[in-house]
Amino acid sequence: MAEPSGRAFLTHEHVLAVLVIGETALFAALGSHFLSAGNAAEVARASVEIGLLALALTPVIVTGGIDLSVGSLLGLSAVVMGAAFRDHGVPIGAAALLAVAVGAAGGGLNAALIARLRLPPLIVTLGTFSLFRGLAEGLTGGIQNYSDFPERFLFLGQGRFGPLPAQVLVLAGAAVLVGLLLHRMAIGRSLRAIGYSPEGARYAGIPVGRRLLLVYLLSGVAAGLSAVIYVARLGQAKADAGTGFELTAITAVVLGGTSIFGGSGTVHGTLLGLLALALLQNGLRLSDQPAELAGILTGVLLLGAIGARSLLSERKRG
Amino acid sequence: MRRAGVGLLAVALAGIVSGCGGAPKDGLTVAMMPKNKGNPYFVSCRKGAEEAARELGVRVLWDGPTETDAAKQNEVVESWITRGVDVIAVSVENKEAISTVLRKARGRGIKVVTWDADAEEDARDFFVNQATPRGIAEALVGHTARLLGDKGEFAIITASLTAANQNDWIKHIKDVLAEKYPGLTLVEIRPSDDDRKRAFDETQTLLKVHPEVKVVMAIASPAVPGAAEAVKQSGRRDVKVTGLGLPKDAKPYLHDGVLDSVVLWNTMDLGYLTIHSAAALAKGALKPGATTLPAGRLKTVEVRGDNVLLGTPFTFTRENVDQFDF
Amino acid sequence: MLGVLAAVAPGFFGPANLRDILTGNAPVLVAAIGMTLVILARHIDISIGSQFAICGVAAGLLAKAGLPIPLAGLGAVATGALLGALNGWLVAGLGLPSIVVTLATMVMLREGLRWATEGVWVQDLPPGFQWLGLGQDAGRLAIPIVALAVFVLFAWGLRYVAAGRAVYATGSDAEAARLAGIRPRRVVFGVFVAMGALTGLAALLTAIQFIDVQTNAGVGLELRVIAAVVVGGTAISGGRGRLAGTLLGVALLGLVGPALTFLGTEAYWDRALQGLIILVAVAADAFERRPSGAVRG
Repeated sequence: MAEPSGRAFLTHEHVLAVLVIGETALFAALGSHFLSAGNAAEVARASVEIGLLALALTPVIVTGGIDLSVGSLLGLSAVVMGAAFRDHGVPIGAAALLAVAVGAAGGGLNAALIARLRLPPLIVTLGTFSLFRGLAEGLTGGIQNYSDFPERFLFLGQGRFGPLPAQVLVLAGAAVLVGLLLHRMAIGRSLRAIGYSPEGARYAGIPVGRRLLLVYLLSGVAAGLSAVIYVARLGQAKADAGTGFELTAITAVVLGGTSIFGGSGTVHGTLLGLLALALLQNGLRLSDQPAELAGILTGVLLLGAIGARSLLSERKRG
Repeated sequence: MRRAGVGLLAVALAGIVSGCGGAPKDGLTVAMMPKNKGNPYFVSCRKGAEEAARELGVRVLWDGPTETDAAKQNEVVESWITRGVDVIAVSVENKEAISTVLRKARGRGIKVVTWDADAEEDARDFFVNQATPRGIAEALVGHTARLLGDKGEFAIITASLTAANQNDWIKHIKDVLAEKYPGLTLVEIRPSDDDRKRAFDETQTLLKVHPEVKVVMAIASPAVPGAAEAVKQSGRRDVKVTGLGLPKDAKPYLHDGVLDSVVLWNTMDLGYLTIHSAAALAKGALKPGATTLPAGRLKTVEVRGDNVLLGTPFTFTRENVDQFDF
Repeated sequence: MLGVLAAVAPGFFGPANLRDILTGNAPVLVAAIGMTLVILARHIDISIGSQFAICGVAAGLLAKAGLPIPLAGLGAVATGALLGALNGWLVAGLGLPSIVVTLATMVMLREGLRWATEGVWVQDLPPGFQWLGLGQDAGRLAIPIVALAVFVLFAWGLRYVAAGRAVYATGSDAEAARLAGIRPRRVVFGVFVAMGALTGLAALLTAIQFIDVQTNAGVGLELRVIAAVVVGGTAISGGRGRLAGTLLGVALLGLVGPALTFLGTEAYWDRALQGLIILVAVAADAFERRPSGAVRG
């Protein structure tokens, strides 16, 4: 099936791939032990939480929407899980499932407001951004910090299968799932159609409400799942978990070539964008550069990416 | 346009290439991390640390999250492990979270000290302790009691509601109140989120909602000037402010009289002592069982168990604040 | 909400409290005016928090450098305009999506500022800095007056001046606007410059309430302001909304915090309640407009 923007797409991912290779070469030269198995494993491990969010945000942004609440929802899911486990004797497996359920509930709220009431995603998720974080703070009084999770649970966030950190498998699974959704199934096409023109999609018979419900629900579930991994990695659950994650995830998605206006986007693009960001941060740190520089260069990269995209689509339009 | 974007990137990267050192030099490398880089409190600790580094010929890598972020602290430590440093010195934002990765560092032969805020005991070799949370609480409540007398009401302006250090102090403050000062009542705790204007707004509202509050205890650096300015602007001469923060921010208000006292310690000395401890640890001069540590211009410092003690909390007042420059 | 307050905590309506709330929210109103323009033009600017911080620091540094305070203030506004021009060039000139552009500039500006200042506040300012030398009582009155004056100016301008109407036209349909002789790119550029300048003014109005300048100010400002504008009825899809609504939005959200304190709720429920208010306000607005056909999501 031909993508609407055909060759322009391929070119963006090519540029990204070149960028990633370039970063790797640069930091291998400048940083200490950048090109080691241990470092690669750690970069992968640290990227999983944002990666899950970015993967779920891709279909959301493809439909022309956005979800600013995923970081806050992560925090809420994390503290609910922590409270259930520590204060209510819920076994850890069930508590983790509860976290995912909270994520789904949050996603469902967004979905209901956006899909049924047809409210603008930016504002709805701005509201839930505050609401979810606020609920997390309220439930814990800000003070509670749940910890002392069992070893076998922490393995999910801190353990390895051979050289591979455990949570990377979760990310891989999610990538396959979202990839199938976006690229191989008819649903993916309908999402792009919605992003391109919601009214047109409706007239074409696409159940827009149901599709939107799906993507925002998925986004919520990803936040809940990400919360589980976050808690496993850090060994603690606090109300401020996931602060700022939504912006990093959105950056990864846009860097990966997904248009913020909707209508196009790929999973491999998002993964490449994620990788580019992770390598940048990690490489700069290993080269003894200050953390602020990573932030500045991230902004530069982002502008470069959308600039490139704009140039390419102009050229395509002739 | 794409060229412009790539060009920009190339220029930025070229800047890094020319500007950075890259490979570790000879001599010790101590990697030091504050809770967040943007806080003037930690900036002054860094000054002391660099002073010690110059004295000892040690290289200090100063890095950390630009905003308070437990997850980021872990990632930075991971990078240091990968990079290979001699000692890691961390001011811990979240005890449980960081301990895992600190243990990993120790497992790789890297020495670990914590400073300003501690991790779990088996995750580090020593803790450079400037004051125990209990000590801090006692000092703060002591000043409040002095201002209020036997009975009275006060309020606390804290950092953010999730800030670990502040919550620790609050817990001890409540203990001290219950044990020693039953006549004093803590009426409310409001967050400032480390924003001076927010502390200002919260204090303003507080003064009106609770007119019987006569002392505002501001326990975060930006909250002290924020609260003090609010009290000053309200014209309420019967209300005083005390708290924990930097003397430089407090100076004008101490002289005004609206701020009565500020509890802290010499932050530069804290940074200075941390580097000395780190270096001594790496060279084997600081071992378990030590009771003292020679620390340059601080002369000899007491070591109790696995805590290197800077001393007791210090109170800055109108009389002494001008002697200090941080 | 006001009814509940009147019943439970009449102290809320004391003159001192109302004056403080007015003065405290004046800067937010000024910034919200700019954001209203941006959103009317069908764009968004999430970088104003970082702009705010930089402009405050600029005012402090200029005052320290010996510039007469009013000029330092103008400098702050000019700095804001320049930063706004950067956003405007990227969005209008290069045609890049505003949400991504301002996301990038937000991060770059804030991190750049942090790197340059290392978190150290701008202190030891000349005594005329606080209240612009007017003294506390006059100063506290002057700030909301300036904010309201700017508000009236822009409210009038949006309706009666061609440039103002051009903003509405550009926001509702840029193509139609162009065909009608309006230059949408110029309008968009202008709107971002105005946003920046107003942010600079907001930073100045905040900075002069104190004796030194915090270098990490304005965190979260963009969310507060956007929420106020949207709650006030301006549509995020552009072309629809009035500054009067923005005034109400700023008032509503500005009252929530102190109101909750007066009502005695614990601080840790504040954020949840604010989020709830935003959602309710937006949902109510949509319900109100329901009968007029499909609402574009």
